[in-house]
Amino acid sequence: MASTVMATKPIALAKASPSLSPRKISIRAQAKPSSTSIPNLKRLTSKLLFSVPSIAMLAATPLPALAEMEKAGLFDFNLTLPIIAIEFLLLMVALDKLYFSPLGAFMDARDAKIRAELSEVKDTSAEVKELEEKAVAVMRAARAEIAAALSKMKKEMTAELEVKLAEEQARIELELAAALNNLEKEKEEALRVLDAQIDALSEEIVRKVLPTT
Amino acid sequence: MDVISSSIKTYNIWFEISGVEVGQHLYWQIGGLQIHAQVLITSWVVIAILLVSVNIAVRNPQTIPTDGQNLFEYILEFIRDLSKTQIGDEYGPWIPFIGTMFLFIFVSNWSGALLPWKIIELPHGELAAPTNDINTTVALALLTSVAYFYAGLSKKGLSYFEKYIKPTPILLPINILEDFTKPLSLSFRLFGNILADELVVVVLVSLVPLVIPIPVMLLGLFTSGIQALIFATLAAAYIGESMEGHH
Repeated sequence: MASTVMATKPIALAKASPSLSPRKISIRAQAKPSSTSIPNLKRLTSKLLFSVPSIAMLAATPLPALAEMEKAGLFDFNLTLPIIAIEFLLLMVALDKLYFSPLGAFMDARDAKIRAELSEVKDTSAEVKELEEKAVAVMRAARAEIAAALSKMKKEMTAELEVKLAEEQARIELELAAALNNLEKEKEEALRVLDAQIDALSEEIVRKVLPTT
Repeated sequence: MDVISSSIKTYNIWFEISGVEVGQHLYWQIGGLQIHAQVLITSWVVIAILLVSVNIAVRNPQTIPTDGQNLFEYILEFIRDLSKTQIGDEYGPWIPFIGTMFLFIFVSNWSGALLPWKIIELPHGELAAPTNDINTTVALALLTSVAYFYAGLSKKGLSYFEKYIKPTPILLPINILEDFTKPLSLSFRLFGNILADELVVVVLVSLVPLVIPIPVMLLGLFTSGIQALIFATLAAAYIGESMEGHH
């Protein structure tokens, strides 16, 4: 069973070396004692712990030395490392040209525009206050004008009325005077008539009273 | 009827599919040197995903952003905030580096977890996340090392090396050791997380295939995202640390 499965990966067997061979950790749900898998895992973890200081040295050593190393399963450093580094740098340049710079500039410009519009709105509120005051002043002036016109009109009317009043009064006084004059005349007439009559009367009385001889 | 052998044969198929091969690589040869081809292929796929999606989403920026543009604006703001917090005011030139670091690792990890790589059968080895290979993570860690050395040297010149004897010269060996442990820890943290998560998922799938592995896969998505963030944040922190000082 194990050989038929392992035979499908011949390269694994061909490169088997005692210390650092690639191991296929095959997990089977069969009721097979997992005794063979646990030593593999143990060896793997011990390999990991063992190779950590070696990695620290490897990270500092130049690249061609790594290529001479035996094929290690997990810690297999090769040309992939610089290729990935170069790919990363090219990706960085590409993303900067396509994404970070243009979108960043666009966002900054938009922010600046919004800030400018905000400050502009604050300025126009001062303008609005000015206009309001102007409106109030205009209203006040209009009201004052109206009041002045009203009072002027009132004065004119009262003056007219007084003139008319004086006229009427004068007329009435004239009529009164005329009437009084008339009355005087009539009084005098009456008095004259009476006087004449009085004279006649008195003559009569005297004639009647005194014995006639 | 050969009942036993037929059931064993069908069992063989599941066994083949669910087998995990640790340390098996597809080798290409250039000159005298070898390459892990599966890492290269998956990294090309990751780069293609990144460039195509960026191109589509950011082509005509609108003032009121569309969905794709909004997502990429959010990502850019996130990266800017991350760089600004770690590096300080001179974070501008470092945004492409930190951003590419974050996006490459994030998309690699999630592509390894989400894309059905097993459909493509390689003659030797299998396709998985490119960050499950020690070469990738060490390459990224070494680039970070070079980046923070370059940042310190370009800002302070040769007085950058004074930091080795600060605060006291007794700490000189520790400070020198730090220059080795920083890339080491960066690379191994990422490598161990991604490879171990892949192994756990494959083991669980081969044991209890249908529902049980799903929480572990979700956890794997979460932790691989966090690992991308941690790598980028630490890279920015190292750069900021080597640029800081009374300049």
